[in-house]
Amino acid sequence: MIEISGLGKTFIGQDGAAVRALDDVNLTVQENEFLTVLGPSGCGKTTMLKMIAGLLPWDQGEIAIGGAPVRGPGPDRSMVFQNFALLPWATVLDNVAFGLRMRGVGKKEREERSRELISLVGLSGFESKRPGELSGGMQQRVGLARALAVEPSVLLMDEPFGAVDEQTRRLLQEELLAIWEKNRLTVVFITHSMEEAVLLGDRVVLMSARPGQISEIVPVPLERPRSSDVGGVERSSDYVNITAYLWERLREMHEERSVVAGSGPSV
Amino acid sequence: MVTAARRRPAWVRALDSNLTYQIGTFVLFALGWQVYGTVWGGLLVPTFTETVEAFVELVGTREFWDAMFVSNQALVIGFALAVGIGVPVGVVLGRFRTLERYLNVYLNILLVTPMAAIIPLLVMSVGFGLLSRVILVTIFAIVMVIVNVRAGVRQVDPALIQMARSFGASEREIWMRILIPGALPSIMTGIRLGLGRAVTGMVIVELLMVSLALGNLILEYRGMFNGPALYATIAAILIEALVLISLARLLERKVAPWAPNNQKGANQR
Repeated sequence: MIEISGLGKTFIGQDGAAVRALDDVNLTVQENEFLTVLGPSGCGKTTMLKMIAGLLPWDQGEIAIGGAPVRGPGPDRSMVFQNFALLPWATVLDNVAFGLRMRGVGKKEREERSRELISLVGLSGFESKRPGELSGGMQQRVGLARALAVEPSVLLMDEPFGAVDEQTRRLLQEELLAIWEKNRLTVVFITHSMEEAVLLGDRVVLMSARPGQISEIVPVPLERPRSSDVGGVERSSDYVNITAYLWERLREMHEERSVVAGSGPSV
Repeated sequence: MVTAARRRPAWVRALDSNLTYQIGTFVLFALGWQVYGTVWGGLLVPTFTETVEAFVELVGTREFWDAMFVSNQALVIGFALAVGIGVPVGVVLGRFRTLERYLNVYLNILLVTPMAAIIPLLVMSVGFGLLSRVILVTIFAIVMVIVNVRAGVRQVDPALIQMARSFGASEREIWMRILIPGALPSIMTGIRLGLGRAVTGMVIVELLMVSLALGNLILEYRGMFNGPALYATIAAILIEALVLISLARLLERKVAPWAPNNQKGANQR
């Protein structure tokens, strides 16, 4: 269980002005819940994720995981990055084993474990390839395998499928769902896609920008296991309604902003 | 592209390599030289064939190999020092910006100063021995090494560092597993470019500071108006430089084959 209370952070921008990146964020993520976080760019969703990961400091509030306050990166969490963050010089096997290596797992065990994960994400046979020889979708499979290899209880995903094409993205979503069904763990998943947020999440956290705040938490009562093939959830009325509702809310946020921007003196 | 290449006969494809073009331009160059040397050449402009003859004769003499040995002593020691000092300094400068603020000005001085100008200073302070030649080769080469290594460390993707930290990597592990391997392609490039400068330094120091070895041969042949031998000596230096640079380039590709610059078909910088 992740408990976030009163989380706040102010950055000093390049022009010297203070930017309230996060303001009084309160959020509880249940054990083994798949939580998606949706919001316009600049709403602080990635900042919040990196704070949970222990990679960024904050000014106010508290983050606790399983009752223990977060003070930095820890073995209970692992992260999947937007631009994959793979080591270009290392093979797929070594990339997947990287987290285990940092955790001090011996060579034999980490290779064995990495091979299992590589086969789980469907990359068997590519163990000795380098990231440069793989497609974007395959690279993110490596990123996912690396994160799962350390057996985290919390998986943090920062727009993981944002850098791949639409078709690959759908396949990856399905694979992620299948993996999660087999091996449930707590997931915090950042996205800017309404469809993705609804398809994957048990709840969708909607954030608004300036200051970065939680605007609403929308439960997604779609049955699991979910899939997006024919007859899948995407045709259910719940899916359609929630996606439409989220888009309405997001559009309001954009309108508010454009009104604010338009109300100033014209230059 | 691929299918078009496949349709061409094998001998055409074999010919379509960098080497073919390099040999082609060399043949043109040699022809032009030959014509110029024959028509306008005087005492100090031998023809291409005269130079080749003199070259063959030169590499048969003991004097030449002695000179090579003495010159290369300074090259080997000086270059080794440049790499041994330059790589760590470049890495540190790349990682710690504050330190760089203090040292940047000296680096720029090394980069833009005509090195010949400091030769008298060197001679006055350390004399004419091997030491001063080594020092000059080192300062010639070290700038290239430092600048490239620094750039290499700096362009390591910060996302990789963050990734490593998220898995609990210590600062030491970030150095060993992310920064050093990430900078390796640039480190190798710096070493290769530094090698080129080291050869330059080796020759310049012998021409301007201590008439010795290869530099002395050049001065001597010039004094005797022996054009062919003068050109042959210079050719020998060029050949050595080319061989060394090619070896460095080979090593670069071997050590960091993942780097975009080292992939097959990538052009040399």
